[in-house]
Amino acid sequence: MALIRADGLSKGYRSGDSLVRALDGVSLDVPQGAFVVLAGRSGSGKTTLLNMLGGLDRPDSGSLVVAGHDVLRMSRDERAAFRLHHLGFVFQAYNLIRVLTARENVAYVLQLRGMEKRQRLALADRWLAEVGLQGFEHRRPDQMSGGQQQRVAVARALAASPDLVLADEPTANLDSHTGANLIALMRHLNEQQGITFVTASHDPSVIAAARTLVTMQDGKIVDLREG
Amino acid sequence: MLIYLQLGWRNLWLHPVRSALTAAALAVGMAALTFLSAMNDGWMQQIKGNFALTLTGHLQIHAAGFEQSRKLAQHIAEPDAIVQRIDGIAGIRQLVRRVRVSGLASSAGSNGGALIYGVEAADEREISRLAGFVQQGRWLLPDDVRGVVLGAGLADRLHVGLGDKVVLMASVSNGDIASEVFRVRGLLHSGVMDIDDLLAIIPLRMAQQWLGLGDAVTDIVIRADDFDTVDPLQQRLAQALQGQGLEILRWNDIDPMAQQWADFADAYTWVVLLIVILVVLAEVLNTMLMSLHERIREFGLMGAMGVRSSQLFVMVVWETMLLVMLGSLIGFLLGGGLAWWYGSRGIDLSQFAVAFSFMYMDPVIHPALQAASCLRILGAALIGALAAGLIPAWKAARLEPVEALREL
Ligand SMILES: Nc1ncnc2c1ncn2[C@@H]1O[C@H](COP(=O)(O)OP(=O)(O)OP(=O)(O)O)[C@@H](O)[C@H]1O
Ligand SMILES: [Mg+2]
Repeated sequence: MALIRADGLSKGYRSGDSLVRALDGVSLDVPQGAFVVLAGRSGSGKTTLLNMLGGLDRPDSGSLVVAGHDVLRMSRDERAAFRLHHLGFVFQAYNLIRVLTARENVAYVLQLRGMEKRQRLALADRWLAEVGLQGFEHRRPDQMSGGQQQRVAVARALAASPDLVLADEPTANLDSHTGANLIALMRHLNEQQGITFVTASHDPSVIAAARTLVTMQDGKIVDLREG
Repeated sequence: MLIYLQLGWRNLWLHPVRSALTAAALAVGMAALTFLSAMNDGWMQQIKGNFALTLTGHLQIHAAGFEQSRKLAQHIAEPDAIVQRIDGIAGIRQLVRRVRVSGLASSAGSNGGALIYGVEAADEREISRLAGFVQQGRWLLPDDVRGVVLGAGLADRLHVGLGDKVVLMASVSNGDIASEVFRVRGLLHSGVMDIDDLLAIIPLRMAQQWLGLGDAVTDIVIRADDFDTVDPLQQRLAQALQGQGLEILRWNDIDPMAQQWADFADAYTWVVLLIVILVVLAEVLNTMLMSLHERIREFGLMGAMGVRSSQLFVMVVWETMLLVMLGSLIGFLLGGGLAWWYGSRGIDLSQFAVAFSFMYMDPVIHPALQAASCLRILGAALIGALAAGLIPAWKAARLEPVEALREL
């Protein structure tokens, strides 16, 4: 059964007189354990689709079921709870809470999910080690490089063992080497632990790592290729 | 809960200078407020205390209606029986008997209205400050049969001094006018106009004989342990003296002036409190909105992670409360400390002493913060903190993560 079942998702923005179709009838099934990369030019609708899959944005029409939940029927608080229990997010930059250390950033989501303190700190440390940040537990975001911050974000997204990780241009602010390392890490976690990733990016190294490459243009999916 | 306190605390440290400035502004406001309240409390205690101890005592027992009519016909015929009846009631520190009547005082050259008091010369020292106000001559002695102590102002009007003769006249129970000659033994100077310009004090025995009262008196004056015990004591007295045809009046029933002063001062501190809190809130609100604006993306991020808007709301309220409470507490301790320091040393206002003494004030004020004022100040700070937190908290809770995340 598909983890994500999106059908005919459309979303328009009115800017002045013209209507921008950010999403124009997007249908997409993502199976459990997939590693999907959304590619496409700037403005093609990648972020809009990703936000919709994450229950952050609502379509004008269409239907969406994620991990068995009808996301579009949920209230604001229900969607927040849904994200907390089923999803992990990695954004382009500034993913972390500034005043919390790496370990606290990871542990915070676990705390929100009600995990007891000793357990969540141990788990946070384990995930930081997993992303290669052993010894950085007590650093604050401003004491880490961009790549390290992104890896903390990955650790945080994964620590709560989500059904799905949504990543929006996770490598855009990194140099190509660091970016390639990050995507390799994500791919590794996908293969080792079967975690489903949907990543929006126009970074060639991310596109190269795709197991499913979805290309978008003007709010439509124009190409879908299994790698 | 704890995480939000922690987050709030650390967020304040993100801009230590800004937070410190805001907290300092708060602290200064609160310190001023606290010190002012302590001054005011000290004053009011003093005014009330001086007022009650100067003349009225805490409670007075009269024949019913006497305070209104001031007629000698309405007297307490057997004061000893009454005193016996209330003997042993808890909270009576001291009591004295008095005869009080309005009359006329005249000297060889002049005359004027007088308030004539017959007092128990020795016991009166324990209950009122009258004896202490004698600045020329001396206070009455028990065997001063025809001695009188005059208010300095009254003596001036009569052009009399120590050793001079004064004739006192008053109408007695049956309506006749009685008059008697007295010799001035002392002049008292209290600074309270009503006392200095009107009082003529003679021994109780003398007053009773002269006015044909036998053993009767008009007032039984009671000193309680303190102001807080006055109301319950009044109730106990009323119970013990039920059906005796008496009235039991509190100091503030007898002369509402001191109470009015206290009420006025109270209203005034409320106004000051309100202004300080409002100014401080504007400052805090400004700081919090600024801080919120810088963190919009972070709020969006937290929302995306699955933090509910109610949790964001609580977080911002906590952060605001932390800032306000920190500043307030420092200010409160500062102001309280200052009040405590001056409480034992006193603030000398003798430059203004003349104007003050007519309000029953000493020239030296001892700030003394009352529990009620502490509660009021801290309560106002807390409510203010909540109020200042609501707007930014509401803004944070209303943020749509998608839009907040677009901010960079
Ligand atoms: N809030 C909005 N208001 C108006 N137009 C919007 C809004 N959000 C997105 N759009 C428009 O929708 C279209 C799709 O935007 P989207 O951000 O999804 O593109 P993208 O593929 O993520 O682009 P990029 O690679 O630059 O991130 C764009 O034309 C964009 O201008
Ligand atoms: Mg985008």
